[in-house]
Amino acid sequence: MFDLLGAGLANIMQVKYLVPLALGTLVGVLGGALPGVTITMTIIVVLPFTFGLDPLQGLAAMTGVYVGGSAGGLVTAVLLGLPGTPSAIATTFDGHPMAKKGEPGRAIWLGVWASFFGGLLGGVFLIAATDPLARIALQFGPWEFFSLFILALSMVAGLVESSLVKGLIAGALGCVVTILGTDPVMGQERLGLGIPFLAGGIDFLPVLIGVFAFAQIMTELERGAGAPAAVAVGRVASLAVRHAKVIWEVLSRPVQLLWCSFIGVLIGVLPAIGGSAASMMAYDQAKKFSRHPERFGTGTPEGIVASEASNNANVGGSLVTIMAFGIPGDAVTAVMLGALTIHGIQSGPLFISQNATLAYGIFAAYLVAHPIMVAIMWAGSRWMLRVTTVPKAVLFPVVLVLCAIGAYALNNTMANVYVLLTFGVLGYGMVKFGFPLAPFILGVILGDQIEINLIRAIMTDADPWKFVTRPISGALLALSVGSVLLALWQHRRQQKRLAAVAQAEADF
Amino acid sequence: MVPIGPGFYPRIVLGITAALSAWLVVADWLAKKAPAPRKPANYGLVAAMFALFGLYAGALPFLGFRVATFAYVAAVNALLDPPRGARGWARVALVALLTAAATYVVFERYLLVLLPRGGWTGF
Repeated sequence: MFDLLGAGLANIMQVKYLVPLALGTLVGVLGGALPGVTITMTIIVVLPFTFGLDPLQGLAAMTGVYVGGSAGGLVTAVLLGLPGTPSAIATTFDGHPMAKKGEPGRAIWLGVWASFFGGLLGGVFLIAATDPLARIALQFGPWEFFSLFILALSMVAGLVESSLVKGLIAGALGCVVTILGTDPVMGQERLGLGIPFLAGGIDFLPVLIGVFAFAQIMTELERGAGAPAAVAVGRVASLAVRHAKVIWEVLSRPVQLLWCSFIGVLIGVLPAIGGSAASMMAYDQAKKFSRHPERFGTGTPEGIVASEASNNANVGGSLVTIMAFGIPGDAVTAVMLGALTIHGIQSGPLFISQNATLAYGIFAAYLVAHPIMVAIMWAGSRWMLRVTTVPKAVLFPVVLVLCAIGAYALNNTMANVYVLLTFGVLGYGMVKFGFPLAPFILGVILGDQIEINLIRAIMTDADPWKFVTRPISGALLALSVGSVLLALWQHRRQQKRLAAVAQAEADF
Repeated sequence: MVPIGPGFYPRIVLGITAALSAWLVVADWLAKKAPAPRKPANYGLVAAMFALFGLYAGALPFLGFRVATFAYVAAVNALLDPPRGARGWARVALVALLTAAATYVVFERYLLVLLPRGGWTGF
């Protein structure tokens, strides 16, 4: 494993990989710093640029975006009190107060170094866990894969904040998208409606790009347009700090750092809940275990470290699920999965053994992206706020043009651009009616695999009880039922609390 | 042998979707909550943005990437930040020109990604 990793590192240090990785990290940091532009959107914009590159170049660029984006949000969070990306929300709680108290440099660098160490801890997990997990997954038969995908879908549907039914419907609708086109087992055309394009089925990338890009841009537009994304940037005081001191501040609470990184990794491994959940949860945990919980929210370093360490560790966790099982941990890794498929590489448990060079190249890119991110922050954090003055009137059309290019260039057909628009409208409608997007996308990605494994299992053995009686498959299915029940219970409890609050308010 | 064919999985998926939708309808009906008060939102702008993108997608095969992108970016930029006077229009033209030119050069020349050619313009 270490020789493979060494080879990967030597590989990624070549200029032809280092340049896309550094550019990707830079774009990620900038996209992360822009309020209203999520990492998902940044990676969608980067996607068409990777079509012409070789697979490792493209994935290195995307890994850079992911790592840079998770850290970039903190600059805006600290200096403006606005999260640059959702995963930096918890950073605003303590980062902004600390900056207001006259220590913006300390706040930013605490975040940067916490991201650095948290991210590297996530990397250790990524490298150590992917191969063993993939080996376990190699033992899986179609029953186990079917149950694993069902578990992923039901967990995502249950974990989203809005109603469970809507989450489940969104997931099921995602699967409905995949039944269009050729039947993946017998190759028979179905539901083509006489439209030649539909006969081939719908690619998930234009669906994903359309759903996320339009849903986000349009919800921003509802609030009005034209104005720059952020308030006019005032003069920023010096951000210079003594790095040794800040690093010591981060490392002097090793248990907290480890625990928050662990939470980040864990949330990352769970499909489709991403950095924002990780950082909120880690912040909450850090507050609970702290000796001075009352200081949280007033600018304590612990809060910044908790949030930033966990959201970067989360990246490592998300990469594990996609590399070991082929299940995207969030929308960002879903785009990376798409990039793999464009190059004809099958993700899943065989990925790491069949494409060891690529897999270890990605690990190496992930590790190298962290020092690059620190270097970018060092060189540019003073100017980074300028990026928030980019007017939306310029940003939005450029993003949408890049989305159109991304969809078109997939197969050089206009049909994918129409798919992009269709699902853009659908995605916006779903958001307006409170249907979560994450389960929908996961359904679109996993739908085919669910069908293939279901049919294979039934063709191997007609006994449907096999899904329950095979131990791993049965356990996975039990877990998915459990996660749905848990979601139901939590939702009910939440509603009761809301009702109680409403009651209390009515009394006054 | 179980009766499975191409219709097996679609039936299951559509059946589940239908059942879940029915559940949602019943749950909403039982809850009988008054609809939440609507926040004022700029739906006109959203509709205009979708319409412009639709026009862009429709025009791409006829006008070609460079012309259509110039027109689209100019239209969206003017819609979101209405230009005032000659300077405003110059800004719109500049933004559109730069976007169209930069994306074209980067993708066609440098990354070898082919972009749509115009059926009418041949450009």
